[in-house]
Amino acid sequence: MTALLAAEDLSRRFAARGLFRRGRPVQAVAGVSLAIARGEAVGLVGESGSGKSTIGRLVLGLLAPDAGRVLLEGTDLASLREAARRRVRRRLQLVFQDPYSSLDPRRRVGRQIADGLAIHRLAPPAQRRERVAALLAQVGLAPEHAERFPHQFSGGQRQRIGIARALATGPEFLVADEPVSALDVSVQAQVLALLADLRTRLGLALLFISHDLPVVRSLCDRVVVLYLGRIMEEGPASEVLRHPRHPYTRALLAAAPGDPLRPRARILLRGDPPSPADPPSGCVFRTRCPYVLAECAQVVPALRSGGPGHRFACIRDDVETTLPAPTA
Amino acid sequence: MRRLNWLPVAAVAAIAIVALATPLLPLPDPLAMDIAGRLAPPSRAHWLGQDQYGRDVLSRLLWGSRVSLGVAVLACGAAVALGTALGLAGGFLGRLAELLALRSMDIVLCFPPLLLALLVVTLLGPGAATLVPLLALLYLPGFVRVVYAGVLSVRSQDYAEAMRALGATRLRIMTRTILPNIGGPILVQFSLTMASAIVLESGLSFLGLGVVPPAPSWGLMIGAARSTMAQAPLLLLWPCLALSLTILAMNALCDALRDAVDPQRAPRPAGLRGTLAPHAPSLAPDGDALLALRGLTVEIDTPAGAIRPVRDVSLRLSPGETLALVGESGSGKSLTGLAAMGLLPPAARVVAGDIRVDGRDLRRLDETALRRLRGTAMAMVFQDPLSSLNPVHRIGAQIGEAVRAHHRLPARAVRERAVGLLRRVGIPDPERRARSFAHELSGGMRQRAMIAMAIANDPRLLIADEPTTALDTTVQAQILELISGLKRQGGMAILFITHSLPVVAEIADTLAVMYAGEIVEQGAAAALFARPLHPYTAALLASVPGEDGALPRSIPGTVPAPHDLPPGCRFAPRCAHRRDACEAAHPPLAPVGDDRLTRCIRWRDFAGTRPSAETAA
Amino acid sequence: MAWAIRRVGLSILLIWIAASIVFLAIRLVPGDPAELLMAQGGAPADPGAVAALHTQLGLDRPMAAQYVDSFRRLLHGDLGESLQDGTPVAGEIMRRLPRTLELIGTAAAIALLIGVPAGLAAALRRGGAFDRASSAVSTLGLATPIFVIGTLIVLIFAQLLRWVPAGGYVPLAQAPLRHFGLLLMPACAIAFGLASTMFRMTRTAVLDVSQRDYVRTARAKGVARRRVLIHHVLRNALMPVVTVLALQLGTLLGGTVLVEYVFNYPGLSGMLVDAVNARDYPEVEGIVLVISILFVTLNLAVDLLYAALDPRVRQG
Repeated sequence: MTALLAAEDLSRRFAARGLFRRGRPVQAVAGVSLAIARGEAVGLVGESGSGKSTIGRLVLGLLAPDAGRVLLEGTDLASLREAARRRVRRRLQLVFQDPYSSLDPRRRVGRQIADGLAIHRLAPPAQRRERVAALLAQVGLAPEHAERFPHQFSGGQRQRIGIARALATGPEFLVADEPVSALDVSVQAQVLALLADLRTRLGLALLFISHDLPVVRSLCDRVVVLYLGRIMEEGPASEVLRHPRHPYTRALLAAAPGDPLRPRARILLRGDPPSPADPPSGCVFRTRCPYVLAECAQVVPALRSGGPGHRFACIRDDVETTLPAPTA
Repeated sequence: MRRLNWLPVAAVAAIAIVALATPLLPLPDPLAMDIAGRLAPPSRAHWLGQDQYGRDVLSRLLWGSRVSLGVAVLACGAAVALGTALGLAGGFLGRLAELLALRSMDIVLCFPPLLLALLVVTLLGPGAATLVPLLALLYLPGFVRVVYAGVLSVRSQDYAEAMRALGATRLRIMTRTILPNIGGPILVQFSLTMASAIVLESGLSFLGLGVVPPAPSWGLMIGAARSTMAQAPLLLLWPCLALSLTILAMNALCDALRDAVDPQRAPRPAGLRGTLAPHAPSLAPDGDALLALRGLTVEIDTPAGAIRPVRDVSLRLSPGETLALVGESGSGKSLTGLAAMGLLPPAARVVAGDIRVDGRDLRRLDETALRRLRGTAMAMVFQDPLSSLNPVHRIGAQIGEAVRAHHRLPARAVRERAVGLLRRVGIPDPERRARSFAHELSGGMRQRAMIAMAIANDPRLLIADEPTTALDTTVQAQILELISGLKRQGGMAILFITHSLPVVAEIADTLAVMYAGEIVEQGAAAALFARPLHPYTAALLASVPGEDGALPRSIPGTVPAPHDLPPGCRFAPRCAHRRDACEAAHPPLAPVGDDRLTRCIRWRDFAGTRPSAETAA
Repeated sequence: MAWAIRRVGLSILLIWIAASIVFLAIRLVPGDPAELLMAQGGAPADPGAVAALHTQLGLDRPMAAQYVDSFRRLLHGDLGESLQDGTPVAGEIMRRLPRTLELIGTAAAIALLIGVPAGLAAALRRGGAFDRASSAVSTLGLATPIFVIGTLIVLIFAQLLRWVPAGGYVPLAQAPLRHFGLLLMPACAIAFGLASTMFRMTRTAVLDVSQRDYVRTARAKGVARRRVLIHHVLRNALMPVVTVLALQLGTLLGGTVLVEYVFNYPGLSGMLVDAVNARDYPEVEGIVLVISILFVTLNLAVDLLYAALDPRVRQG
């Protein structure tokens, strides 16, 4: 199985720029590799500061990596010239988190959906209206909605419009950056169902970025768990969620508010995630890990196999069977 | 975009039309002298009189408007064109262009404007030919900054990134996305600059350094009239009036544009007041209830008329009990919590119902008595800890303030108590953290500090409004644990307001579910989770992803707007169990045995087990 | 601290650039300043006199040498001699600068004492009679140019009512009462517009801050209304107000020209206008330089003050 899109050893730091002061650069992503096959849905899970949105921008070529490369069917995005890279954008699209800032408040939504058609000359102007109507229908909206402005829609509807805009160019790969977390609970499920439906109908490959493990499991084939810009664990979604091998994945699962009728033992992590500008030595998770050992500070744990397609970055093997040490 | 106030637009347009039409009007020559008519008062031939050379004042006034406006328009036009180009270049063409465009403006800005004007006039001599480039240069930095800031702000918006992701060229992004969105601020800056240019031009002409006589100009006319003001004070009045009215119109236009362009500046109801209106009959004390709401109805005035986002809400909270108030955005859950604190925003008021805390009727208390209750009998934790903490005071001082608001203690004791409270909510190194500012703490720590502030005087009732929503999952778990710990220790009653059913699962004893401003279901948490008796509750439960990885089930449609509620059951249009009867009449909240309430008339037919597990897709 | 040092360094750089621009502007503008100066009245200049003036101004030496020389003298506080009467420019500036600063300071104090309390009162009773009346007055204050107000004050109080003399200046030591009486009129003329700006800023800022979440938090703690107002609302609302005041003061440094002219007040700006009219280049150069230095220093002070008031700025 060759990957549609592969990221190899991506790293990216951001210079923290103050007004007159230069802060320590923030290592947003460090040595992350990903491969996404045609039609596959991969969930990228992490908390704030885990670098998940940065990875989304990197694989789309919207940000340039400091190290590593992104291959689209074997072609390095960085090797493309400006015009060629713009053409490639047709195949890779993005859905945003915030339904309010993702649409231009001053343009009718029909025109915004038609942008992709115009930029890549996918339809002559005369046919654009029809194509926009078809795209709106695809996301469950009516053709007359094209004439309205974004403020005339609810959050869920705006998110649908954002999806229609992304679908206009006929992409093969979609990055959805927390597409439901800004929505009301009852509307979240609508948008998730729409994404799942589009994926099967259009054969879209999906990189679904979220902080919510249960949501990821319901939509994705594979899941990648990030912490401070590094991969902690990855593998088939059902496998990772049923048998998490990394202490962080376990803590995340335990902390996730799940089924109200099945309360589970909490694993409380100490403190807050450390600043990405000043990550701990060795394993970046060790400062909050209930299973921490002395050697965790010395070695950076490599990803190792925990079953077919399942890899994790922890030096301990007994995490699943041991109760966590009591936390402070 | 908000509606524009057309009055100032019309006023400015009228001034512009008069200035444009002046050559067509049957006016005397503004330069023709008539020594015999020197300082003559207004007459039929000269409506506003004649000046010290006998020239017609009205004619000079109108011709002068052409000079003033002409200089201002040309200068501002040049500044806006060049400034927009420089600002766009600075925001779009990389670091070097940015540096050059912005820093060169800093140099212009290190001279006070009038001073720079005097320097340039000294070097180049007075006259309109000097004034136009001079004013353009003076106002250039303003435009560069407005455009540059606009480009940066629009560029950081998701819709600009969406254009990049679509593969749009820079030119397309600039013309289709950025320019339309910064057009408003540029327009505001333009009208601001026009007014300022007219003032500066007239000031320089007044000093004899602007427009050269005998050309008519308002500044020159005021300057000339000064020497004869003892004999003919009216001569002074006319140009002063013309100048002030023109600037008044321009300023009003600027304000109107700003209001129309920037929603942030639009008038919002505000103020510190907002006590509850006096209310008629008082009910008997509600047993041992710590918090008792009866028939609470809140009204808010909006431009579209009054709406009632909270209607007929009754709740009862005993000591040590935790009640979770669950609902989506717009359900009225937060307003209910604020009403219980007497902290409704000024536009909102309680129009019916009864709020009792510890037996005291809040609606009958004045602000001073309410203040004494806040922080002692009841305290509140808010959703966003960063905006809820004052940015300029240290954390310790803000917690100490909560103590000092109710106790006279020496400063040292207050400080120690604040540190003790920080320790109690699990903040490591509390002595150091007490000296931190809010922006120096992490999100989880800020929320802990907020909780420390709320429990400073051991309140019996804690109202927590979405206290974990803004936090990361693992931090959210910590805060939930902290709140349950407080509950176990102190016997505090907690009103926990949230949109997330799973979050409250382990903390709530009882549950009230709100939809579109009213409670639709109420009961013991375990019973309600096991067997919801309202389709909305059931649907909410089903919209949470299940253990088995099945896709959550969605509720079709959206929450109705408060001014457009469906006539019968508010949930009927989205309900899978709807019958005609549901839409015929608004169902009451009815008791259905062992402390359960539901607003569904079909609860008997509908009631089953939880739907999520069995109907997985 | 590193932030403050960088900011100070930037200000020094700006002052140097400003001084260089003033130096270059006078020498690079088309036309020979000496010739322009001597040719007043339309008659062609006498070549001998022009050459003599060149030597006096040092214009016959290479540009680079003039530049180095003028900066060396600048560091010693020497701004050259006036072309009109040969007196040292620096001495005359130092004599007049305090008068202008006194005028600006008085105006700022009046504006602050009226504008801020009025803005606060208007915001607290938004939409009330006082709010509407004071907002109307401030609109007028913002729309009336400073020289119009000044001229009208002279017309009404000096010409028609004859309450006060039309203008002038008396040193404080000579006649204290008369000194302040004469100071008051130009100060009020400046203060009208300035107070209107202060009023508007205060009103807007108080309204804005009153709705912040942290004000609600303070009220939820049971903090007394007065303390909420002072410690939370005013403390945060005054930051933008102070900034605007300081920036306005900077603009006034050059902007008192009109008021000094109207009231015949012998301040620095009046000297500048005279120098401009007389084409007295050393004087113009000196005054522009001094005011620019003050202006840049004031802007620096604003930034540092802001950092002192708002801990978030310090973090950068």
